[in-house]
Amino acid sequence: MRVFRKWVLAIALFVALILDGTLAFYLHQFMNIGAYGASTWILPIGIMLIGLFDDTNPNEIWLALGAGIVADISTLGIIGVYTVFFPVSCWACQRVARFLPEIFWSRLIVVIIGVTILDIYSWAILTMVGIISVSIKIMLISLAVNACWTIIFFSITYWIWGNLAENYPFLIDLRAYR
Amino acid sequence: MKKFLQNKKLLTTFIVIFLILVILGGSVNLRNKRNTPLLVQSFGNDVVAVGSRIVDIPVGWISGGLNNVNDILNTQTENNHLKSQVTNLGQTKARNQALEAENKQLRSALKLKDTLTGYDLINASVISRSSDTWSDLLVINKGSSAGVQKNQAVMCGGGVIGRIIEVNAASSKVELITTTDKSANRFAVQATASNGKSVHGIITVNSDNNLAFTQVVDSRKLKQGTKVYTSGMGGNSPKGLLVGTVSKTTRDSFGLSDLIKINPAGEINDPSVVTVIKRKVAN
Repeated sequence: MRVFRKWVLAIALFVALILDGTLAFYLHQFMNIGAYGASTWILPIGIMLIGLFDDTNPNEIWLALGAGIVADISTLGIIGVYTVFFPVSCWACQRVARFLPEIFWSRLIVVIIGVTILDIYSWAILTMVGIISVSIKIMLISLAVNACWTIIFFSITYWIWGNLAENYPFLIDLRAYR
Repeated sequence: MKKFLQNKKLLTTFIVIFLILVILGGSVNLRNKRNTPLLVQSFGNDVVAVGSRIVDIPVGWISGGLNNVNDILNTQTENNHLKSQVTNLGQTKARNQALEAENKQLRSALKLKDTLTGYDLINASVISRSSDTWSDLLVINKGSSAGVQKNQAVMCGGGVIGRIIEVNAASSKVELITTTDKSANRFAVQATASNGKSVHGIITVNSDNNLAFTQVVDSRKLKQGTKVYTSGMGGNSPKGLLVGTVSKTTRDSFGLSDLIKINPAGEINDPSVVTVIKRKVAN
């Protein structure tokens, strides 16, 4: 069971990846207003929160890289969007967490900024490779819709990710220290 | 140059960015060219698809329950509408049977085997959707083991909603017809003008994310409400699949060709059960 405890966070991220797809399918009608829409990003929110809650574990950056590769392959079919953003955002959040107050609101602001960057980054990459052709106007308005949905997903999952990151750090057995 | 090579941080950053661009370019190339994804990718997709099916069960129950309540509230209106349709249904059915029998006889007389209108159906359920708002992708629970192939047309709610872009063993990805992907295969379509002639073109997506019937030589005779079908000319999909109806005809921004807006016939926003269309005639 000790081995299992070390991998709880990885399993949780896999479940988050699946939930992203399922909720995107069921909530799509509510998350889109005309041509503008929001993304279901429980997984990116989770990765950023893990970085904010546990700023000492470098293994989590590798976990974010793995999650990024799986997410890229299973959703977009190209490698380079989540594979880059997840480890970079996890590393950045770990750095920010060192001077950031450990409260809900400060973390919410960091996550909203992170998700907005991810939105712009994914739009830029997908436009560059020709997979999408969405105007800047639509992209900018979608950012606002996305920020609103991010607040909802963040509020629902905040305590879950906090608990997981603090009690089940990736590839670290806390019992060894007790 | 010497300074750049001696600065390890800068050099590492440069190499990492270069590697990312190479991997990105390579994976985009693979996505567009290969008929089936790499074995690792296919396996990964199927593992995620299995997980999606498990998670889909409880979420589907909740969503289904809410939809049932909505259905009960709309029952009376729906019933009145269906009653008016039923009176015509018997006559249409009898006429279809007679035409089908006649068609069969004429085909055998002409010794025709498969035509562009012939196709088989594969029914599938949608298990997830791409989580980002930019790409219009669905994942369905049927793959190559059920006979699904890349580029086959997908229908839902009586109209075409997209095309298969990636096939794994037990799951496939569907790119919706509303996609703005520049490299996506477009549906070759046709409509019958008011003077009885067929008008040919392709389906594209315009800047405000609406479907458009483009590359049309003369659209002036296409009235609002004209049905647009696949022509089967572009390969991949058979002839006669309903794509949508003409809603408005305008000129493009250069004033050179006609741009016809289409109301999609298929259920694009909430497709839970879809049908993959397997064309009988080889491409």
